[in-house]
Amino acid sequence: MTDPRMDVTGVGLLGEGLHSPGEPPAGIRRAPEGVDGLTTEHLIINMGPQHPSTHGVLRMLVEVDGEEVIAAEASVGYLHRGIEKLAEHRRYDAVGTLMDRGDYVSGIHGELAFALAAEKLMEVEVPRKAHWLRSLTSELNRLGSHLVWYGTFGLDTGAMGQFLYAMREREALLDILEAITGQRMMFNYVRPGGVLADLPVGVDTKIKAFTDTFDTYLEEYDQLLGGNEIFQHRVKGIGVIGREKALAFGLTGANLRAAGVDFDVRKQIPYAAYPELDFEVPLGSTGDAWDRYTVRMGEMRESARMIRQLMEGMPEGDHTAKVPKVIRPSEGEVYASVESSRGETGVHLVSDGTDKPYRMHYHGPSLYALQALEDVLPGHLLADVVMMIGSTDVMLGEIDR
Amino acid sequence: MSPVLSAVLKFFAALGIMLVNGVVMIYMLRKVLGHLHIRLGPMHVGWKGTMQTLMDVLKLLTKEDVTPRAVDRWLFRIAPAVVFVPSLMAYAALPFSDTWRIVDLDTGLLYTFAVLSFVPIGILMAGWASANKWSLLGGMRAAAQQIAYEVPLLLSVLPVVLVAGTMNLGGIVEAQQGYWLGFIPGWFALNPLMWPTLLVFMIAGLVEINQTPFDMSEGESEIVAGFATEYSAMKFGLLFLSEFSNQFIMSALGVTLFFGGWTLPWIPAEINHAFGPVIFIAKAYIGIAVMMWIRGTFPRVRIDQLMELGWKRLIPVSLVLIMLTGLFVKVVG
Amino acid sequence: MLPDAQTVRSTLATGGAHDAEVAETTLGLVVRTQISVVIDALAALLAEGYESLVDLDGIDTGSGIELTYRLRSYSAGLEIFVKTTLPYDAEMASVWNLYPAALMPERETAELFGLTLSGHPNPKRLLTTEGVAPLLRKDVPIRTHEEVRRP
Repeated sequence: MTDPRMDVTGVGLLGEGLHSPGEPPAGIRRAPEGVDGLTTEHLIINMGPQHPSTHGVLRMLVEVDGEEVIAAEASVGYLHRGIEKLAEHRRYDAVGTLMDRGDYVSGIHGELAFALAAEKLMEVEVPRKAHWLRSLTSELNRLGSHLVWYGTFGLDTGAMGQFLYAMREREALLDILEAITGQRMMFNYVRPGGVLADLPVGVDTKIKAFTDTFDTYLEEYDQLLGGNEIFQHRVKGIGVIGREKALAFGLTGANLRAAGVDFDVRKQIPYAAYPELDFEVPLGSTGDAWDRYTVRMGEMRESARMIRQLMEGMPEGDHTAKVPKVIRPSEGEVYASVESSRGETGVHLVSDGTDKPYRMHYHGPSLYALQALEDVLPGHLLADVVMMIGSTDVMLGEIDR
Repeated sequence: MSPVLSAVLKFFAALGIMLVNGVVMIYMLRKVLGHLHIRLGPMHVGWKGTMQTLMDVLKLLTKEDVTPRAVDRWLFRIAPAVVFVPSLMAYAALPFSDTWRIVDLDTGLLYTFAVLSFVPIGILMAGWASANKWSLLGGMRAAAQQIAYEVPLLLSVLPVVLVAGTMNLGGIVEAQQGYWLGFIPGWFALNPLMWPTLLVFMIAGLVEINQTPFDMSEGESEIVAGFATEYSAMKFGLLFLSEFSNQFIMSALGVTLFFGGWTLPWIPAEINHAFGPVIFIAKAYIGIAVMMWIRGTFPRVRIDQLMELGWKRLIPVSLVLIMLTGLFVKVVG
Repeated sequence: MLPDAQTVRSTLATGGAHDAEVAETTLGLVVRTQISVVIDALAALLAEGYESLVDLDGIDTGSGIELTYRLRSYSAGLEIFVKTTLPYDAEMASVWNLYPAALMPERETAELFGLTLSGHPNPKRLLTTEGVAPLLRKDVPIRTHEEVRRP
């Protein structure tokens, strides 16, 4: 089957069809007559799907005039695995494995969204300890995901060192998560009704060792990248997604908070242990890339604070409610949201009373961020395209599903 | 010794320095970056990875030289040479000690910069001939930045020439003899009046040799390998050898112009004469280590910000510095 | 986060979305409209202050494709769901000039449910290649192990 995607220069670019003979190649577009009657040509450049800087397999077609971006189009679907279709053929306790592989860097959030949705239909009482364990792993995962964002964002601007420092911290986090869940990445830990297992012996020392040193290191990392004037020049005032645009494009999470909208699912639609925790929600003002940077760094600080609170106040009790081996929730339709590292991960679950979901829709916030990106990029330079993909923290797993 | 024979021997000496420098620097780069990134760098090939570069060179020599179909054949083939040869020629005027030089040129400084200004032409050729949009962008960026920064680079060394009174690189080093207040060496870098000049030179020098934070023409995360994307095997090897060689030359120039060349203070002149080359190379490598340190830490500047920095800020600043230095020299004598 | 049903009914009536049923369900406050007036309903809600479209998806109900729009008003802290049902292989009108957030989700929904997208600036497929069946329809089966092993 000839796949039009393989024809990287010919596929209907930016709304056009395949080019016909006699026309200039699709990779070049005649621009309107310039100032002195000079004809210039715009290049249509293909970034990705294999590229050192696209966060996942993203193909970004940019039409450039020299270095300036005239138009940008994102072509996704390289990672489409049919998670929503597969979920209709899995029992409820197995759908978590699918959600793990959506936003694969912060798998706990995806699993949690589905578990919350299923529990609304199951009408089961989740024990308090399970709530706290869910929040603990959520915050650990959020920290890991933000560290990846921090490292790759620096790499996108050209700085190499802090990527490895972030990975070093993340190794400690993955060790902790491996101790708790048994896995470094595809956790399959949060299940409808509770969590898989209680905290093992000795993990509290690991967590304490991590949180004791993390705050100082985070300040160092903030100084290393954010305090660097070259970085600030690259980032301040660039890629402004203001309040109007952010709301119109349905952004959620740090991208929205950077524009000044105070909405955090953990505060507005509380779940798990968040009503009992004390944390701030950092906000930006203008919605430029610098605001997104500071908001996420602030979120990292708050996550570390929350992890400490969670460990100090961890209650006793069961880690899961008694759920039947085969979960058959009542018929109905629910929507559950969690605050994941990239925004509001939502699960729209329709159940028909059988042991498999009738329909599960996985709302991945990066899809909306990518759309906003397409709209914001014209007028910026080519170097900014890469920086913007990093700054909005786009993750192809949850876009393509 | 006949002049022809001596010229040929000097050529091979320069080539030898360039190759050995390349080998050492690649290893040094990987180790320095590795340790900055809390990892070890090459460790397995040879003792602590010292044979790694040799193996890499052998690999490059035996790799298949891929030439894409749509390239401009002659330009594609010549471009690495146009980048490599000027880099080799620039070794000619470097003063390794008071008697060890390949050629003792009275206009050594001018010659070195003139020769280095051929490199952007080669990069532009490589970028254009590669029939690849990414390479084209890289080549254009290199042309813009390197040609633009020739001006501040040259202007920034003029104060040094004014103070030293000569363009002969060996003469500039000799002008830095002597001590202030009895014990501070007379190096230009330790003269507070020369600090702005040193700063401009360092910035313009880094831009000229395409080093981070100014390596946009081969900005890895943006345009993959930039102008060198379509090159493989030894052509790529030539391009990258000349990049390392340029780093050495710029560092050596900085050492000569500002840090006293082959001399060390407070030790007798005989030792300076005997160990001159060693001291010179050691100082140059300290400069290179600083460049690698910067490379492993800083993000990359955007091309339009770089152009703005060069045209709008560095050129006026260096012009002002020339005037001030000229006044100072005239007044103080 | 639950709006008042009566206020919503009057907003929709003034906006021209007749016969809209507003009810509170397990989902939240749900507005069910006919396909012909869904754009008027969304426009009325947008004017009322629901400035953000947070999610858009489709469900194959066996008798048609049911679209769900999740709207949110951040200033008022309210959330509302708008549902409408389309027959199979119907034409889906784009709401992108009301809510630009719908651009890519509509492409995805149209592609995965076999609908034709109209009024959209870029109605190409989003996730799958040419020739792939509308995957989320219930009559498109998921492949068995045997089918995958022997193509």
